[in-house]
Amino acid sequence: MPEQRWYAAKGREVSTVDTTALELSKEPLVELHLVYVGYVDGGTDVFIVPLSRHHDRDEQLDRVLIGELDEDPRWVYDAMRDRRTTPLWLDLFAARHEHKELRFHLEPGAEIPLNLPGDIVSTEQSNSSLVYGDSTILKLFRRLEPGLNPDVEVHDALHSRNNRHVAPLLGFLSIEGDQAKGQEDGTIAMLQTFLPAASDGWSLAVASVRDLYAEGDLHPDEVGGDFASESFRLGEATASVHADLAAVLSTGSFDASQLGGVVAGMNSRLDAALEVVPELAPYADGLRARFAELGELDEPIPVQRVHGDYHLGQVLRTHLGWTILDFEGEPARPLAARRGLDSPIRDIAGMLRSFEYAARHLLVEGHSDPQLEYRANEWAGRNRQAFCDGYANVAGRDPSEQPALVRAFEADKAVYEAVYEARNRPHWLPIPLNSLAKLAQLA
Amino acid sequence: MKPDPHWYKRAVFYEVLVRGFADSNGDGTGDIRGMTGRLDYLQWLGVDCLWLPPFFASPLRDGGYDVADYCSVLPEYGSIGDFRDFLGAAHERGIRVIIDFVLNHTSDQHPWFQASRSDPSGPYGDFYVWSDKDTGYPDARIIFVDTETSNWTHDPVRNQFYWHRFFGHQPDLNFESPAVQAAIFDSLRFWLDLGIDGFRLDAVPYLFEEEGTNCENLPRTHEFLKRLRRMVDADYPDRLLLCEANQWPADVVQYFGDPETGDECQMAFHFPVMPRLFMGVRRESRFPISEILAQTPAIPPNCQWGIFLRNHDELTLEMVTDEDRDYMWAEYAKDPRMKANIGIRRRLAPLLENDRNQLELFTALLLSLPGSPVLYYGDEIGMGDNIWLGDRDGVRTPMQWTPDRNGGFSTADPQRLHLPVIADAVYGYQAINVEAQMRSTTSLLYWTRRMIEVRKQHPTLALGTLTEVGSRNPTVLSYIREYGDDVVLCVNNLSRFPQPAELDLRRFDGWTPTELTGRVAFPEIGVLPYMFTLAGHGFYWFLLSRSETHQ
Repeated sequence: MPEQRWYAAKGREVSTVDTTALELSKEPLVELHLVYVGYVDGGTDVFIVPLSRHHDRDEQLDRVLIGELDEDPRWVYDAMRDRRTTPLWLDLFAARHEHKELRFHLEPGAEIPLNLPGDIVSTEQSNSSLVYGDSTILKLFRRLEPGLNPDVEVHDALHSRNNRHVAPLLGFLSIEGDQAKGQEDGTIAMLQTFLPAASDGWSLAVASVRDLYAEGDLHPDEVGGDFASESFRLGEATASVHADLAAVLSTGSFDASQLGGVVAGMNSRLDAALEVVPELAPYADGLRARFAELGELDEPIPVQRVHGDYHLGQVLRTHLGWTILDFEGEPARPLAARRGLDSPIRDIAGMLRSFEYAARHLLVEGHSDPQLEYRANEWAGRNRQAFCDGYANVAGRDPSEQPALVRAFEADKAVYEAVYEARNRPHWLPIPLNSLAKLAQLA
Repeated sequence: MKPDPHWYKRAVFYEVLVRGFADSNGDGTGDIRGMTGRLDYLQWLGVDCLWLPPFFASPLRDGGYDVADYCSVLPEYGSIGDFRDFLGAAHERGIRVIIDFVLNHTSDQHPWFQASRSDPSGPYGDFYVWSDKDTGYPDARIIFVDTETSNWTHDPVRNQFYWHRFFGHQPDLNFESPAVQAAIFDSLRFWLDLGIDGFRLDAVPYLFEEEGTNCENLPRTHEFLKRLRRMVDADYPDRLLLCEANQWPADVVQYFGDPETGDECQMAFHFPVMPRLFMGVRRESRFPISEILAQTPAIPPNCQWGIFLRNHDELTLEMVTDEDRDYMWAEYAKDPRMKANIGIRRRLAPLLENDRNQLELFTALLLSLPGSPVLYYGDEIGMGDNIWLGDRDGVRTPMQWTPDRNGGFSTADPQRLHLPVIADAVYGYQAINVEAQMRSTTSLLYWTRRMIEVRKQHPTLALGTLTEVGSRNPTVLSYIREYGDDVVLCVNNLSRFPQPAELDLRRFDGWTPTELTGRVAFPEIGVLPYMFTLAGHGFYWFLLSRSETHQ
């Protein structure tokens, strides 16, 4: 299990492991294993591992063979990669199957294909998904927490809005919480409309940047691969989804004291980051000034449910336009925090940061020179503006007219990025540092 | 010709201007006999049907679209007898011929107009749309915005205004008059009796006018087309009506008529595909093309789209959004002279900066997207244009046959040519000509011929359904054409850089892709994403077939 990409506790020392199996089907035998992992440093995680067991060894499945038991059925496979058993999931949804604590919910009117094997999506990190034909995708949340998963919650709530910038929810699988402990039901899996022939925003943006870099003497608005109209439409899609989230889920506002709490959080994250990334030291005062500007706002700021982990990799372009995916929030944060209210500017800042990454990642990967640096700034500036213009076109208010908010959230996000890059990809560290330097110097 | 009521659904069309193709009598102007002499070449290339723009008697103020007599041949081009010989020779080679027919308007030199203006109460008095005021039909847009200020022009002879949707010298016929309809039917029958295989009907949406409308696509226009089609079907089997309606596909479909039976035109041009192809490649994004393919509505089973990269008109930008038009102008028409009306007046090769890879990619797209492809004469050898010639003549220069005088087009004194042969160092006839390219099997001409041949071996490329195939890479456009067992996968790299494409081909688990030009079998498809690598502007066509071991 520790070798799996979704195993979120890499490097943490494990003290106890306990397993419960819930049967999904008898013949073939498919079980949902809940693996309780206790850590030496305290705390526990529950991982979800579906396994299938066959009487005979299937050589075509050798790649995903997990082991052999003494009892029959003895051959144990990774059920997410066992094409003989992946059709089962949709059958159970169609039957609105209930068994012990498990409950398969199907949205009213949802149509799902039957008797079709699902195939695993190879690019995922924290979860595992199965794609069925070109219509349906099942996402298995690998880490179980009490409470409705925000991705399901948000998509379920948006169902009534028919927003064309989200993929419709088809169903979800829940597990009853321990009522004696007052625990909420947890979410194991989510069933959603699949968008075939789509490309993620990151791939599109990078294609545009690559095109720009190949033309030494042309500006971003002059090259064929100009991305601004896509950014504009992405801004429109973002504003439309924000509006619907505010319409169907709770909203509120942060007063001065709550804003103070937000600022304190930003400052403490900066303090922690300074320990890890000494390169941040020259910008610390400037960044604190940015955070302080947020605290000095004299009007309460509106808050609502937001995306929470918004960037170009979370949006898909289909021939119909942009679709926003994955409302889970930052996977590292606790579930309750991910379901909390926040300023929509948090999402906007996340996307603006993503434009900076798209503009600059080719520079850190290859050789850089001042002229390409200049182009990167131009590209990011043009697309940031187009995104804000598109947002304003739908929302009626231009986020760039709230510079204190945007800057503070951008700075907070970039601090987080600096820590992440220093730990995982030190050669990418210049991307957040470059932005932080600029943010710190703003008067 | 073998009887085949749906021949046009599989045909490769070739647009040829009589004036610009071959001059048989050395007077400096192309003619019908000259064209007859070049039919072997067109047969060799694989052309199934020729489309001839107007060659009728005309003052030639609009490239012959200003017709002065529907039932004649412009004397410079030859005679009706020459045309009959040409038609026979084409049919002997299995080549069909359709001709342009301008329904909506005539030249102001047409005897009908002369009679109408001088004798308002005579038999031709109501052949045109006359009015005492120039204020009628205010909602109709002006099409040639760069030369016309109104759709009405005052005629001093009749002292009335006449209606014209195009140039002031092209008065619109009054289709409300039964006599006009009868006269038009007689003219159409004249050519059908000679044996032509169909008409491209010019400027169809504008036949009727009605107050309070934009005077386009009116119900009475459709009623007229249905009557026309009934007449053709009853008396002239296997003839094609190809509609020119420069509109969005969702609006053009009405010109096919009834969705089940298709009782108006069998073919219509799909205008927006072409600018979107240019945009997609320039933006290195498949979405401009994917969008228009997804927006293309279903058409009746007996109907077909006509698609093209370039033709004798400017690259039309009416069917793109304003933002896209600005972009296309900025990208493709760097010199103001390259712009005309709302379009770009360039040939294919100069538009693509003479990049062989892009020329091949665009041609491969043309030959594999849904619809019958229409090639424009000279583009198969990569001819250039002359933007310094007036109006749209820049893309109508003489065909370049040989490196000899006048490019082998004519034996006339070069000064006598109706338009000068392209003579620059890159596109000139000494560098770009049919003779040289026929000597080299690696030439663009040979390559085009080979691709036409491959297309004909796979009816799915003409008749199949289209399904776009997913890939994370936004610069790669891939689609599957499917017609029974004939399944072809087309993968196109719209980027100038090499690209990977991981295609979701799970539906074809256990099938084998075979590349269509070299017949090389690729590894079998499984349930994992199928990986291709493509050169910059590279493309592949694969036949998908069940692997032997799985049968």
